[in-house]
Amino acid sequence: MDRLFLVCSNVFIGVFALFCFLPFWMMLMGSITNETEILLKGYSLFPEAFSLEAYRVLFRSSTILRGYGVTSFITVVGTALGVAISALLAYSIANKRNRLRNHFAFFVYFTMLFNGGLVPFYILISNWLKLSDTLWAIIMPALLQPFLVFLMVSFFRTLPAELEDSARIDGANELKVFAIIMVPISKPIIATVALFYALAYWNEWFYGLLFLANDQMYPLQLLLRRMISNMMAARNLIPAGAATVNVPSLGIRMAMTVITIGPIILLYPYMQRYFVKGLTIGAVKG
Amino acid sequence: MDKDKQGTIALAERSTGVRRGSKPGRSKTPLWRDMLRSPFLYIIALPGLLLYLVFSYIPMYGIIIAFKKFNIREGIMGSEWVGLSNFTFFLKSGDMGRIVYNTLFLNVLFITATTFFAVLTAMLLNELRNKYYKRVSQSIIFLPFFMSWVVVSMMVNAMLSGRNPTMNVWLEALGLPPVDWMFSPELWPWILTVIRVWQATGYGTIIYLATISSIPGEMYEAARIDGASRRQIMGRITLPMLVPTISILTLLAVGRIFYGDFGMIYALLGDNPILYSTTDVIDTYVFRALRTLNNFGMSAAVGLAQSVMGFVLILTVNMIVRRVSKESSLF
Repeated sequence: MDRLFLVCSNVFIGVFALFCFLPFWMMLMGSITNETEILLKGYSLFPEAFSLEAYRVLFRSSTILRGYGVTSFITVVGTALGVAISALLAYSIANKRNRLRNHFAFFVYFTMLFNGGLVPFYILISNWLKLSDTLWAIIMPALLQPFLVFLMVSFFRTLPAELEDSARIDGANELKVFAIIMVPISKPIIATVALFYALAYWNEWFYGLLFLANDQMYPLQLLLRRMISNMMAARNLIPAGAATVNVPSLGIRMAMTVITIGPIILLYPYMQRYFVKGLTIGAVKG
Repeated sequence: MDKDKQGTIALAERSTGVRRGSKPGRSKTPLWRDMLRSPFLYIIALPGLLLYLVFSYIPMYGIIIAFKKFNIREGIMGSEWVGLSNFTFFLKSGDMGRIVYNTLFLNVLFITATTFFAVLTAMLLNELRNKYYKRVSQSIIFLPFFMSWVVVSMMVNAMLSGRNPTMNVWLEALGLPPVDWMFSPELWPWILTVIRVWQATGYGTIIYLATISSIPGEMYEAARIDGASRRQIMGRITLPMLVPTISILTLLAVGRIFYGDFGMIYALLGDNPILYSTTDVIDTYVFRALRTLNNFGMSAAVGLAQSVMGFVLILTVNMIVRRVSKESSLF
């Protein structure tokens, strides 16, 4: 009976994992399949005619390079700022010597419960701060991640208080204590939070959609999205007979997607360890 | 305690002004003097606090747009005050029923399905013996979480739309009739749920696995000695021990039940009027009202209603859970 159960468990997990993996495989195959074959038979799991034409076309244009540039920029800058600001904030909240720490904590965590809605936010960014059409409109809002602050607070709370005390007794001032002792010890949590931020920035498309008019500044995700919305527009317009929409070929769509997620997939084995760690800490503490 | 340690602790107390284990406010010096003397902790929090102030709290002021006939040129103060007419306009439009229903229904589907599959996957993964198989399959199951909805949209489009959607190719291979996916709104709640399970199970599995691994091993040993089968162990030990985590996560999700997953739905379906009847949620509606119709006032009104309802809900649900079992509640 137990044997049967074990077999079923393995089968279920296997099937589910296959289900999760399938779309990636199809995308990869679709990107290296000959265009004609896709037109005739649709995307298939095991294509017969291969071709790298889709990638050749994409890399010929400078759009991809620009997209990569923009995405990399907002990811690097956003992650650096995000980690710095959140870590400082979390350290302050976690430290028992901060008499306002509960106030700070409430101030930050309350934003998870209630917000003003899309309209005031939109007006803030575009009218009051005049950040429309700049990359900061993407970078700034995504810096706020109360969950990540919470993660770091949980971590800092596990550090023994004696550590800071003994350092201060040895005469170091607060800044030194933080920089020389706390930061090196916190490397794992900083790595985890950095990866969370990096992933969020790499995948970010909503703020760009709202605030960017200049398509020279589109990150990869927005380029991909523009491709999709052209496809959708073409589909909806076909009855009306409009043919002015630039519909990308079937292979190019897949290739573009592969290009967009490429770095994530490549770094995945390395990254996921930290994500699992981070979520685990959050799970047990939270 | 030897003399040295005593002296050290006394010195620490005097230099930091805080006695070990004291609460904030117990200290004798007034707050402002404390802040002036050792401002470090307060200063480093400033950038973060400022950020939240500007991007989360200041927009709350914009809530009054919900009560005005907003005109960009006149700004917030200059626009005409119309009281509740934005809300009544929305109520009369007949859209409210549809979008609130869709939001709630879809979220209920999502919460149920993802919790079910995440718990099941976590428990079964825990039972696997082959470490390599375990690690690889867990990695694969977690992978979809890392994809943005735009990327997922491309995958879904390949499967379900176009002239030769892959799903139909497979259906025909199985001898089944092809389906016009993009024109069948009644199918989409289920399609969206499948996609959601695909994307989110990995995340939940990790959290539940973490909880499972914190179950003391002695419980399992005792059960095995008593001759319990794997299934019994799973049902009587593992599952009950997961209940607090399940209820916290479900509580968190229910608190957000009035918030549709805009990122997912808009990325997957864009502005597709045919499918609005089952997929238009509050957030997509607000977005459209803002971008396409430029109706700031009504858009803000609906957004405000959503925020208020969500807030009230999460407080209520938390109170209920508190009554039932203290350790399962959020705060």
